Amino acid sequence: MKRHHHGLPWPRLHRSEDVACEFCDAVQKAPRLREGEAAYCVHCGELLYQNRPRSLSRATGFSIAALIFMALAHAFPFLTMSAAGSRNELGLIACARAVAADGDPLLAFLCVVFTVVAPLILIGGILYLCAPLMLGRALPGSLWIARALQRSEPWSMLEVFLLGFVVSLLKLGHLAEIRFHIGLWALVAVVVSIAGATAGIDRRELWDRLELANAR
Amino acid sequence: MSPPTFAADSGLASCHTCGRLGPVADGRCRRCGAKLHLRKPDSLARTLAFLGGAIALYVPAMSLPVMRVSGFGGGEDSTILSGVVTFWEMGSYPVAIIIFTASILIPILKILALLWLCLAAVGKVGGSGRKLALTYHVTEIVGRWSMVDVFVVAILACLVKLGTLMTITPGPAALSFAAVVILTMFSAMSFDPRLLWDRRRHTS
Repeated sequence: MKRHHHGLPWPRLHRSEDVACEFCDAVQKAPRLREGEAAYCVHCGELLYQNRPRSLSRATGFSIAALIFMALAHAFPFLTMSAAGSRNELGLIACARAVAADGDPLLAFLCVVFTVVAPLILIGGILYLCAPLMLGRALPGSLWIARALQRSEPWSMLEVFLLGFVVSLLKLGHLAEIRFHIGLWALVAVVVSIAGATAGIDRRELWDRLELANAR
Repeated sequence: MSPPTFAADSGLASCHTCGRLGPVADGRCRRCGAKLHLRKPDSLARTLAFLGGAIALYVPAMSLPVMRVSGFGGGEDSTILSGVVTFWEMGSYPVAIIIFTASILIPILKILALLWLCLAAVGKVGGSGRKLALTYHVTEIVGRWSMVDVFVVAILACLVKLGTLMTITPGPAALSFAAVVILTMFSAMSFDPRLLWDRRRHTS
């Protein structure tokens, strides 16, 4: 395991394996990297891959944290707004339900995909792959999960939702009495943890390790 | 340094999913099972098709109301543009600037950037490789932030349900605008940046 062999490159199956730059298609030897180093294409200078420090522990740790905070973000409202005798709670699901109730079920469905489903696939997938990989193992369906999490990444938009939340607050301004709750701080923590987990491990490292674990 | 060799010239393709280099004759990637292609299939046609859809839907997204505010004095529709103007006039410059950037500036710039990349890929316009690569990266990263206005509408629709005093509901433009963002994201994903370099290799 990388953590115990500090400074060693992650394992590559075929020692002489070539890579092609995914930007300009130039074939080159894949250099072995120390932790924290990155390889760039000799032809166009694009990033080829990075050897992220303590990748598996970071990805595992951050994804566990993200799952816990995600549960909290769903269990508690982000804020409650009281005005004119009525009181409304804001949450990810509550948001989608309100949109659906207002007659736009398709938009509600998209909201659920972007703020609930895609983040869950992304973070659950990273945990499902990286935790067993720390022991050099891959659980059944790992290839399918790896593909699914890669597909879901651009559609996981919790950080965009958070910006939308800030804009909404500025819009509402002095309109009503607003109270913040645990759910909001949990949401901020989810956004940070997801960023930490996805930046934790390079895509090529994940696939190389999966290949190695599946070959055992 | 010897001149580089290119994967496509020797029938090799890097897998779109896992990045492994393998002979395209295999059909599927030996590591992850994804289909291998020398270049993303029909890259330019797909990019332009998604882009055309996005441009078409941008019209209703801008002209139809994005949300409806109803209350005592009847209803009031607001479009994305009228929202920006209102907040600017109210002196809420940060809100006006964020919404203008995310909902108007970024989608237009992204559509133009993708058109430019497609033109560069067929050799109609020039441009240094670095500049084109940067354009591609920026369009890929920045596009999703346009969705912010859709979330604002959803959040306001959830919070502002104050009975007869004031109620906000999403308008038809919200869905069109979400579709514009989704289509431009698909468009950027369909574009294969290797086409930009293929062009230079064959002409030089």
